[in-house]
Amino acid sequence: MMKLEDILVTRNWVGKPSPRKEDSRLVRGEALYIDDLNMDCHHAAVLGSPLAHARIQAIDTSEAEKLPGVMAVITGKEVAEQTRPIPGRAITKTAIQYPMAVDKVRYVGEPVAAIVAQDAYIAEDALELIKVDYELLTPLVHISDALKEDAPLVFEEAGSNVLLHDVMEHGSLEEAYKEADLIVQETFKIQRYSSTPLETWAIIAEYERANDSFVVWANDQQHGRSIVNVCRCLGISTNQLRLIVPDIGGSFGLKLAIWPHMVILSLLAKKVDKPVKWIQTRTANLTAGSHAPDAHLEIELAVRKDGRILGLALKDTENDGSFIHTTGIYALIKFATMVGCYNITGTRAELISVVTNKGPTVQNRGVGKPAMIFVLERMVDIVAKRLGLDPSEVRFRNFVQPEQMPYTTPSGEIYESGNYPECLKKALTRVGYEERKKQREEERKKGRYIGIGISAGIEPGTSNLGYYYTSRGTPEYMGNADGAIVGMDFDGNVQVLLGSMDSGQGHTTTAAQVVADMLGITLERVSVESRIDSLVSPFLGHSGVYSNKFNDVDLGAVIMATKKVRDKIRKIAAHMLKVDETDLELREGKVCTGKGKGKGKAVSFQEVASLAYKQILLLPEDLEPGLKEIAYYRSPYTKLPSRTDFNVQTTHSNSVHVVVVEVDVETGMVHFLRYVIVHDCGRQINPGIVEGMLIGSTVHGIGASLCEDFVYAEDGQLLSSTFMDYLKPTFLGLPRLEIEHMESPCPFTLLGSKAVGEGGSITSLAAIANAVEDALSPFQVKITSLPMTPEKIMKALQH
Amino acid sequence: MHEIQLRINGKDFQHDVEARLLLVHYIREKARLTGTHVGCDTGHCGACTVICQGRAIKSCMMLAVGADGFEITTIEGLAAEDLHPVQEAFRERFAVQCGYCTPGMIMTSYFLLQGNPEPDEEEIRRALVGNLCMCTGYQQIVDAVKYAAERIRRVERKDP
Repeated sequence: MMKLEDILVTRNWVGKPSPRKEDSRLVRGEALYIDDLNMDCHHAAVLGSPLAHARIQAIDTSEAEKLPGVMAVITGKEVAEQTRPIPGRAITKTAIQYPMAVDKVRYVGEPVAAIVAQDAYIAEDALELIKVDYELLTPLVHISDALKEDAPLVFEEAGSNVLLHDVMEHGSLEEAYKEADLIVQETFKIQRYSSTPLETWAIIAEYERANDSFVVWANDQQHGRSIVNVCRCLGISTNQLRLIVPDIGGSFGLKLAIWPHMVILSLLAKKVDKPVKWIQTRTANLTAGSHAPDAHLEIELAVRKDGRILGLALKDTENDGSFIHTTGIYALIKFATMVGCYNITGTRAELISVVTNKGPTVQNRGVGKPAMIFVLERMVDIVAKRLGLDPSEVRFRNFVQPEQMPYTTPSGEIYESGNYPECLKKALTRVGYEERKKQREEERKKGRYIGIGISAGIEPGTSNLGYYYTSRGTPEYMGNADGAIVGMDFDGNVQVLLGSMDSGQGHTTTAAQVVADMLGITLERVSVESRIDSLVSPFLGHSGVYSNKFNDVDLGAVIMATKKVRDKIRKIAAHMLKVDETDLELREGKVCTGKGKGKGKAVSFQEVASLAYKQILLLPEDLEPGLKEIAYYRSPYTKLPSRTDFNVQTTHSNSVHVVVVEVDVETGMVHFLRYVIVHDCGRQINPGIVEGMLIGSTVHGIGASLCEDFVYAEDGQLLSSTFMDYLKPTFLGLPRLEIEHMESPCPFTLLGSKAVGEGGSITSLAAIANAVEDALSPFQVKITSLPMTPEKIMKALQH
Repeated sequence: MHEIQLRINGKDFQHDVEARLLLVHYIREKARLTGTHVGCDTGHCGACTVICQGRAIKSCMMLAVGADGFEITTIEGLAAEDLHPVQEAFRERFAVQCGYCTPGMIMTSYFLLQGNPEPDEEEIRRALVGNLCMCTGYQQIVDAVKYAAERIRRVERKDP
């Protein structure tokens, strides 16, 4: 692997908080999200099912079709006739689902029909004229409903509501149980929530009759796979679909589930003579725009009297709702963080994915790892209480030690670097742990309930995509990689085309910083394009903005492509200056001779570009003209998936959150007094961006801990379907996060960088829950579920 | 249909519109100013915030016909060439991630600073409570607004 000093020729940009290049557009309101594209479109509206579980008896669209301004109507039956079913990935049973409901509806908001009209208002009017006769079926809301012996089946063809059930044991679990002095067991419940990007799903589709092909603009976040999925579903070849992704208003995983709607929009576009635009309403987004599943997690730790945790057994039951493309994923991804920061040598995981009549689920920020770290870090506190040890002490006794790095977990996940004990030490020092404990005791005497909570978490990055198929066999996708095109233009400026989009992460700035330091030029001379056009973008099936892969494979591709350009620049310059390539250095936009003979000579990038693009007869004979290169870079340590030894993800950042809260026992409100994070994501490229990702993801976790909850009635209706009742964190009530960084470079990535972007949402949940439980310890309150709403806290206090 | 006249960012607009057309849709589709965004259907998110008759309003909560004769400033009208100090502060302080809430945030912040040139953290947080950001966790936005206030004061005092 290349060394850092071989990659960067200057250190003017990497590691510095450069303001983001993209923001000049964004602060002026000049971003172009889908709905901003200046195109003459018809408008689509989608009729969502009003019922959670029902058979469709008949659909009458005749009144809607008669409404002036309505151009076309489509129903599920017609969609099914023209498409193939949505593929499952993790599930081991057959379940057939189309982009639109055909014979029955499986969740409130499932598409049943769609309208195209001349404007969006008319399209919405027309929806009200569609008459659907439903025969009500028993709605399955809770996991327990779906597991009843006589429960109706969500997918009859599956023969069960459990679409994935697997048990995998790794390491020395039997010995752990033999050696253990006590077994600590607890069951936790985690609710449905979502990171709710502010821009909802949005698509424009156009049909080109001449060559029977489609152009689709969508705020999709995994375009490679989506192209394959949409084409397979439509029964067309991949040269019949061009996908364009402009600016995206946040994604957080939720836009991985948009592609079935691209199928619907494509079919609609085929019926009319103009592009068709669909902008999802917020209510539809909250109802059917996908959630993180609610889950039951039963966990057992085999523990020695001295606090050493030897073994872990997990039974994870996920309420995956009813989108079979992602069903099961939340269970399998748990292996990425199953043992957290700890040296636990034996694990057993029973993974159960249940389908119900709740809304669809998809990979929301952190994907199952927030739940895994939540239960594990809650358990560490429970162990500490049982043994009369300080919660920090139990963590110190179990941490993977820095000298054990790279550390392989029982299932095969490789933690590449990090100093977990030091991270906790720093956090405890920052918060003033001993003083806070004294304060807690003193305030308690006065009737104020202060609690301190610790959580240590792992933030994995770069999915080894084959993990989806662990229970099934050969994966359709494996490993991870991305592409980039880097070119120098006539004037010696640099243009970069990324293989994947940005949805708020500042990728264009980060990539520009790296390229500028690789070529020894200023940031202004580097322009980076993160908007995607499948005709030109250098993407793969893995491409997309997900799993914190950017700092690993996306930048890897940028670096390799830039290196190719740089090598060629040096070759041309050596030829021009008649010196040996090894005598050349890149400085301030020039190639200069260094120590050897001919010292003091230089050619500018512009002069080099002149030869490459114009005076091509002056080039060395064996050199192609041009200065544009493409490179693909793959994560080098992805193992082939296997049940006995596999790594779900390939980089592992870590952090410790220490939270001090006061709980008002009269109202059940949780108030933050301190929130300290010590965070290690390896080498940082832009600390300003890293800090933003860390704060933002932590606030997602605060939302999940305290207020966000998709509440369903017993009939399967979503009760929290607007931002009035689905409560997001606002400017008020949040702590000021105090952040410190450690830097343990990743030996597996070119720049030593690791995952950034999900960490706070993973580690925060248990820190807050541990703090609340600590605050309420005089009342024997036990926190085993989220969110900790005032109502739930008051109920717990009354028991 | 109803004929309405509006002045947006100093430019006059005149259209026949349906009574039910929301002001935000008028701004986006008739005036073609797409910096004002729609993030919810219910007036909770603030992405559509504009300055209307001198006050920050959520333009999804007003009908276009209700704004007949009004003067409106949108994000596009905040600064002519150079960035407004609030825009500059958002850029310098990493207060932007996906950018979707940003125009609304900036318009509300601009309105706050007009009435209160020296807000403390609590005042900033209270003033912006009607604007949701899903990316940043708000902390860097608060810092940007504080920084913008300082910059504006510095300019007014003609400090270097």
